Amino acid sequence: MRVGLFIPCFIDQLYPEVGRAMVTVLRRLNITAEFPAEQTCCGQPAFNTGYWPEARVLAQRYLKIFAGYDAIVCPSGSCTAMVRNSYPELLGAATPVTANTFEFGEFLVRKLGVTDVGARFPAKVTYHDSCHSLRELRLKDEPRQLLRHVRGLELIEMDQAETCCGFGGTFSVKLPLVSFAMDEVKVDSIQRTGAEYVISADSSCLMQIGGCLRRKKFATKTISLAEVLAAQ
Amino acid sequence: MNAARENILGRVRTALRVEAKAPAAPSAAPIFPPVTDLEARFREEFAVLKGEIITDLPAFLTAFPKIASAVPEVAGNSDVRQADLGVTGCDCLLARTGSIAVSTRNAGGRALSVLPPVHLVIARRDQLVPDLTAALALWQQRYDRHWPSNLSVITGASRTGDIEKILVMGAHGPKRLVLYFTD
Amino acid sequence: MTTAAQQFSHAAAAKATDLRHRAIIQKNIASYDIGVARGKDRFADWPNARSRAAAIKFETINHLDRYLEQFERNVLANGGHVHWAEDAEQARQIVLTLARQHGVRKVVKAKSMTTEEIHLNPALEAAGIQPVETDLGEYICQLRNEPPYHIVTPVMHLSKADVAELFHEKFGAALDAPAEELTMVARRQLRQDFLTADMGITGANFLIADTGMIALTTNEGNGRLSVSLPRIHVAIAGIEKLIPRLSDLGLFWPVLCTSGTGQALTSYSTLVGGPRRDGEVDGPAEFHVILLDNGRTKLLANPEMRDVLHCIRCGACLNTCPVYKTIGGHTYATTYQGPIGSVLTPRLRGAAEWSHLSFASSLCGSCTDVCPVRIDLHHHLLHNRRDAIASKFDHPLQRLAFKLWLWVVQSPARYAVAGKLARLGLRLGLGNSFAKPWTATRDLPAPPRQSFRDWWEKVGQASRLSDVKPPTGGTPVQHHP
Repeated sequence: MRVGLFIPCFIDQLYPEVGRAMVTVLRRLNITAEFPAEQTCCGQPAFNTGYWPEARVLAQRYLKIFAGYDAIVCPSGSCTAMVRNSYPELLGAATPVTANTFEFGEFLVRKLGVTDVGARFPAKVTYHDSCHSLRELRLKDEPRQLLRHVRGLELIEMDQAETCCGFGGTFSVKLPLVSFAMDEVKVDSIQRTGAEYVISADSSCLMQIGGCLRRKKFATKTISLAEVLAAQ
Repeated sequence: MNAARENILGRVRTALRVEAKAPAAPSAAPIFPPVTDLEARFREEFAVLKGEIITDLPAFLTAFPKIASAVPEVAGNSDVRQADLGVTGCDCLLARTGSIAVSTRNAGGRALSVLPPVHLVIARRDQLVPDLTAALALWQQRYDRHWPSNLSVITGASRTGDIEKILVMGAHGPKRLVLYFTD
Repeated sequence: MTTAAQQFSHAAAAKATDLRHRAIIQKNIASYDIGVARGKDRFADWPNARSRAAAIKFETINHLDRYLEQFERNVLANGGHVHWAEDAEQARQIVLTLARQHGVRKVVKAKSMTTEEIHLNPALEAAGIQPVETDLGEYICQLRNEPPYHIVTPVMHLSKADVAELFHEKFGAALDAPAEELTMVARRQLRQDFLTADMGITGANFLIADTGMIALTTNEGNGRLSVSLPRIHVAIAGIEKLIPRLSDLGLFWPVLCTSGTGQALTSYSTLVGGPRRDGEVDGPAEFHVILLDNGRTKLLANPEMRDVLHCIRCGACLNTCPVYKTIGGHTYATTYQGPIGSVLTPRLRGAAEWSHLSFASSLCGSCTDVCPVRIDLHHHLLHNRRDAIASKFDHPLQRLAFKLWLWVVQSPARYAVAGKLARLGLRLGLGNSFAKPWTATRDLPAPPRQSFRDWWEKVGQASRLSDVKPPTGGTPVQHHP
């Protein structure tokens, strides 16, 4: 199986540790993946803001860059959903490249049938279901199956796990106080669990949630699903 | 007004020349689980709705000096606007939801079952049907081609939650819904 | 930015920081959520019920001319009248004409968002006719001279204390009166109006084509009184309210009630099939149905957006929307709020002025998940955004910014430079100057020294590319030493 790494632009530039963690776990599973360096951005910011011609250019670019891979793995639910669900609408049809793009946890559970990656992360945690992972990729149980096999990890569900954190891309700066109000609702829910970490498959959500946690000086830390799975 | 009619229908027909994508087909599986014991289920649901089932009709009626009645079992002595009790029959009783189906034919018109503060329904156990689907089919069968002008499925007494979602009974319609089985 | 968009931004910001408002809405929605969860459990298969409802609505809307004509035929056969209104003004004129013809001085109204849409009350008042809202929530709105806050629960934003204060001022009720007592005050006041009104005006939750009836879903009884006591009944409904058969109510009544309030059925599921018939002791002498277009045929003509007309106005999308729950119904400043309103309003009232509603969303998709007729709501927000940009309603600077951005991300080299500059900017603390909308309330992340691609080039691709068999599924993996 030829596996390509799709590292979203903001993970590449702001959260490279998430990409590194994903590579670590894949190597632990004897999967050697390639990183086509011509990749830049999937186009989601343009697409979500209504700039579809611009997004289409990037969609066509992605198809060329990732042609020939059996699976393309991405440590972001929202960018995966962009490729798998929105590219077909932009381009008029799905292609093998769009259909074979998977979110990292999704790839492990649904493609490889693996739920135990030999991870150890002794901490009390809670899980944030990012909107794209939950509603576009229909991932709910899969990340939890993976976390259940992490040694020492105690998962406490928050009551607002499925509620949007308020990021929404440019929404977070166009209606910043509304975005922040939603952030507060999420953070309140996290605090009620007493978790030391909040985990998500989307680093953009973690940036939003973390930004509020740090501003309020709460002890809870954010960490990506990939990093938890890489921990030993 | 006819111009408006032609314009609207014309626009509709023009619009529909282009097809839209149909949604995924539903399965033929039943929408609701089956109802087994009709009377038990009705009593259970009716109680949750705060409906009252009485067994002593004469005793109940003594509390109401002014009665408007649409049924022979109870004598009426009041105009519907002054009555403190409205008595009607019904078309059927819906077990799944504890509901009562009435029409102008058995409810003495439109206002009698909604204006007085207490509504008493005289019914028979053999009027029990499983659910709304059955009740609608019964109506269709009973009234086809000579429909009453007004029919209602009554599920509990009048209520509102408009103030802070606090449940209050008797908003505009009856505050109490009472049922008496003659059989 | 237009005035409506600017007003929206200001109102949204104000409501977003109103913690009292946030607490009231969260409390109300929590009750609703419990009720709906219970309501869905009553179904053997709620997802299939949604699919069934979507299929019937699709059938209806895509053969709308046939069902409209069938409905009209049957209303006429039952002794009723049917009027057609192309827009709000025509609809208002029909009502006013009927009112004049019948010497109407007072109207009792059951709750109808369609009458809000056509701004009926001001027109009645201007003609010297008194409209009385009889739904408790709408009555409170009328007393406060405020539009409804929510399409199903008009005063969700008010606490009991707010209502008590209002009733204290208007009717001398006690300031600490419980909800029951306040409701009884309204009941007493409105009873007189029911008994003396000349005309009853309702909407219709559904129009039944095969029997020529309108279906009304209510809890309070005000709808039933409005169609029982006055001598003329006028029902106004959008043309999309049709369903084919009476038997379809066996699905739609429970679906509407479950999504709307969590109830299996509301207290009164009522059918009106005409004026008083021979032999009936009461009921209006005349029954009129006004079928309203007001932009609906425009939506119909757009096959991508046509399913928006499936909406049964249950309000579930409002109740799930985190943006609605933050900014509240009045912020939208339009008849239909929340996700359905944000999809509809630019299409019905003009994209130039109202597109901002479609942008006021994080696209979480919860609305689409809860819609009982499976309208693809959040994707329609995207479609509205796409069309707004294509129509050049965006700010020229934003358009330029995205062109510049595209130029950068089309080239890995330019992209890498931009990334380095961004990280440098963050390290220098420039985020606090350039990203004020963010940093006013949230911290920015600490920027890494090295991007992923830098790491990959230097260290990451140490293992050579090879085709390796993945491990067999399900078994735990051996640890590498």
